[in-house]
Amino acid sequence: MKHVFFLDGQETPFIPGQNVLEAAIAAGQDRQIPYFCFHPALGSLGACRQCAVKMYPHDSKHPPRITMACLLPASDDLQLVTLEADVHTEHREIIELLMTNHPLDCPVCDEGGQCHLQDMTVQTGHSVRHYSGPKRTYRNQDLGPLVYQEMNRCITCYRCVRFYQDAALGEDFGVFGSRNRVSFGRLEDGPLESPFSGNLVEVCPTGVFTDKVFRHDYVRVWDLQQGPSVCPHCAVGCNTTPGARLGTLRRIRNRQNPEINGHFLCDRGRYAFPYVTAHSRPLQPRLKGETSRQEAVLRQLASRLEEGRSGFLGSPREDLQSNLGLFALADCLHAPFAAVTSSWAEALAQQCLALPQAPSLQEVAAADRIVVIGDLDSIAPMAGFAVRQALGRGARLTVLASSRTGLARKGDYRPLRPSALPDVVSRLADDPCLQGGRLPVLLATAETLGPAGLFALRKTLEKLPANARAGAFVNRPNLFGAAYFAADGHTERLQQALRQREIHHLLCLGADPLGEDWGAGTWRTLSPGLDGLALLDMVDSQTARAAEALLPVAAFPERAGLFVNYEGRIQAFAPVYRREAQVLHSAVHGSAFPEAAGGMKHPLGPPPPLFWLGRLAELLQVHEAWQQRLDFYLHFLCPTAPDPESPGVLLPDTLRARFAIAALPTTPTVESGQWELDIFRWYGGETLADTAEDLQSLAPLRGLRVHPDVQAEWATLQGPCGQLHLPVIPCEDMVQGVIAIDQEGFAELGLYPGDPVEVTWEQGS
Amino acid sequence: MVAESPVPEAAISEILQALQKARGYIDDEALQLAATMTGLSPVKVEELCTFYSLLLREPVGIHVMRVCDSIACHMAGAQDILAQARQHCGVEFGEVSRSGKLTVIPHVCIGMCDRAPALMVDDEALGPMDKQALTRLLAQLEADVWKPS
Ligand code: SF4
Ligand code: SF4
Ligand code: FES
Ligand code: FES
Repeated sequence: MKHVFFLDGQETPFIPGQNVLEAAIAAGQDRQIPYFCFHPALGSLGACRQCAVKMYPHDSKHPPRITMACLLPASDDLQLVTLEADVHTEHREIIELLMTNHPLDCPVCDEGGQCHLQDMTVQTGHSVRHYSGPKRTYRNQDLGPLVYQEMNRCITCYRCVRFYQDAALGEDFGVFGSRNRVSFGRLEDGPLESPFSGNLVEVCPTGVFTDKVFRHDYVRVWDLQQGPSVCPHCAVGCNTTPGARLGTLRRIRNRQNPEINGHFLCDRGRYAFPYVTAHSRPLQPRLKGETSRQEAVLRQLASRLEEGRSGFLGSPREDLQSNLGLFALADCLHAPFAAVTSSWAEALAQQCLALPQAPSLQEVAAADRIVVIGDLDSIAPMAGFAVRQALGRGARLTVLASSRTGLARKGDYRPLRPSALPDVVSRLADDPCLQGGRLPVLLATAETLGPAGLFALRKTLEKLPANARAGAFVNRPNLFGAAYFAADGHTERLQQALRQREIHHLLCLGADPLGEDWGAGTWRTLSPGLDGLALLDMVDSQTARAAEALLPVAAFPERAGLFVNYEGRIQAFAPVYRREAQVLHSAVHGSAFPEAAGGMKHPLGPPPPLFWLGRLAELLQVHEAWQQRLDFYLHFLCPTAPDPESPGVLLPDTLRARFAIAALPTTPTVESGQWELDIFRWYGGETLADTAEDLQSLAPLRGLRVHPDVQAEWATLQGPCGQLHLPVIPCEDMVQGVIAIDQEGFAELGLYPGDPVEVTWEQGS
Repeated sequence: MVAESPVPEAAISEILQALQKARGYIDDEALQLAATMTGLSPVKVEELCTFYSLLLREPVGIHVMRVCDSIACHMAGAQDILAQARQHCGVEFGEVSRSGKLTVIPHVCIGMCDRAPALMVDDEALGPMDKQALTRLLAQLEADVWKPS
């Protein structure tokens, strides 16, 4: 049955349970009802008194009365009016009160042009301030490099503190004072600690909290080019709206996708974008380290490939089509191909794909029994946010990890060594922490749990009620996409071919096998057998510096593509802007783009990987076959390509079923008394994010984290591929016997989480 | 106090009052202590301290005089009382007087509207006040001879 009420005579549909304001906003009638304290994700408060409507009762006994739309439950046939003079007066007078202390700041305020307060003030017609007394002023706090505060602009809607404390469960931000001296901030100056702090910028309807990174290269919002994109920084695939101007990316905002990120983004998703404008970003093709003409690089690379002794390496950091393009080219040339850099990562990807349909974040937020394995916030922060929402609704949370993580502080924490996880996970089905729930959900950071743990997770899931769900996360946007066509043993075969000198050349896409990717230690030992390495990438990496041929590629907001997220949801992103032409002497060379200055066919910045791969296929005279294969694979994986504006389409179950046979991977055994490794990450750490200076200024120290029982200042770790000398960071929260290092460290050593490791402890440096 | 509360958080107001009694005001150390005892975050404790006007986060004199400046007292001349008290202290409201004996703070209604203009010295409410009465009171406070009844 369709439910409607009447707003100014117009039918407004509603879903039972909605309030009048919510329904009016959803129906696009919010022009009639101004509001402040209501926020679709934070609910009603009834504090600002701005959303007045006049309600006409059905009988004639009661007079019509003015009431708050955000507190009025929508019900059938309600008669509501906003167009009458007294409602309008109410709107205007309330906003005048809210504006009493507000500075006349719009021309110098970053919020100007995208300000809810500005919009509402104009909408209600308040234009003359009757109050002429002094205004209340505040000392602003320095809240760190991401969020800028200008407290004088506050209208006390409490949205910020409701977001920070109630939704994000942050503890270092609050509301102080009373009456007209209320202020919002931290106990003292200092960076906001929550991985979700950037959302203050979006929830605050005024210019109190504005984007401090955007501020460095600011532009009025009406001058921004914006479009639908998908966050490339982890497997969640939050929907974003990048904004660019004059060919440079300026900021990232949330794009609402109710099934994934709702109204919010994590700080990595919001603030990691400067990889696009980083000085170190490769923009010109390079041959042996020197900037070179595109044709020269392509021809050199084509001649390498013609020799028939090349291997191909894709990446979960690159999008679906680019990986498919590389795969298709390898296929045409009958060359070995791998989608990930190590067999361990391959097993991990396969076990992730073998899991049955993962829950959407919306479903996670509705779960009532949650088990989190590993430090979820540091891998896929918005998944951690969904867990917080579930906690807010009374869910019971259990966290299995080797240190007391942010989420562990909010639930039952079970300290565990990573090598113990597979065993513990396999017994979870009978564990009291999952009993008695309506919707049990298990969320794991794939790397900490490891292939064997993921296998155990799948088996546990079979024993749980049918509605139980599990999801595994990595900090790569396209593990599912890249791994899908990485059949068993591909990585091993590629490395074996290199070891046996069957190949001596490698073409990599968005991978860093000589830097920090999993298995980099092995690649490094194999690299003497490489005569040449070519790379298509958008960031400067160790592999990029070592590459013989480097072809720069467009950053994600500069091109179209598809990512497959942790649910197997295929999401499309669209090109949002084009880079500024890099034409240096166009006046001298006339209108044509100067060949000599790089001779790029694409004068507007680096092209997408498919362009380069297509050109290579042309030069190798396999273009037709390449295109056919590419189209075929793409159609196979994704018969109906989703629209960037759509919520994405899920990979069909039949495609996943292929992986359900994935066998139990072997695990190293850790003897008691042996040290074992776990991975340490923080929410801002990820390959692309690593070049974002503001975000990285918050990065924790690099070192080796261990329980303070260990009395040492330095430690040397020994692995099969090398050794590592690191300062010791004593960490109260760590499980004894476990050492946590970053991914770079693992790459150096050639080890994986849960592996035993040899350590020598040292005093002094 | 924590043990007597249904949940540790519920003890916060009593703990803060006890700490203020012992130290004169809630210093940063006391704030952290209250947070640890109740399991509340320091931010939450500060929220409470800044919300309740009877809790003080700045050092005060030996006696604290809260002069009501709400409507009934205002009509009855609270501003004159405040001016006189400030002049006596020689410092701004909220600061410690030169002698160290007194801090004067304007305050919201203390529920003594029927005896306006009213004020509170430490825990004792007094009123109605006038110029002479206040002069006497201030002199007693300075000479350390004022006793709550
Ligand atoms: S700072 Fe912004 S969000 Fe917070 S209460 Fe003030 S206006 Fe509202
Ligand atoms: S959770 Fe992942 S996808 Fe979402 S904004 Fe953060 S980094 Fe991006
Ligand atoms: S939006 Fe309804 S009272 Fe604020
Ligand atoms: S107004 Fe002063 S005590 Fe009430």
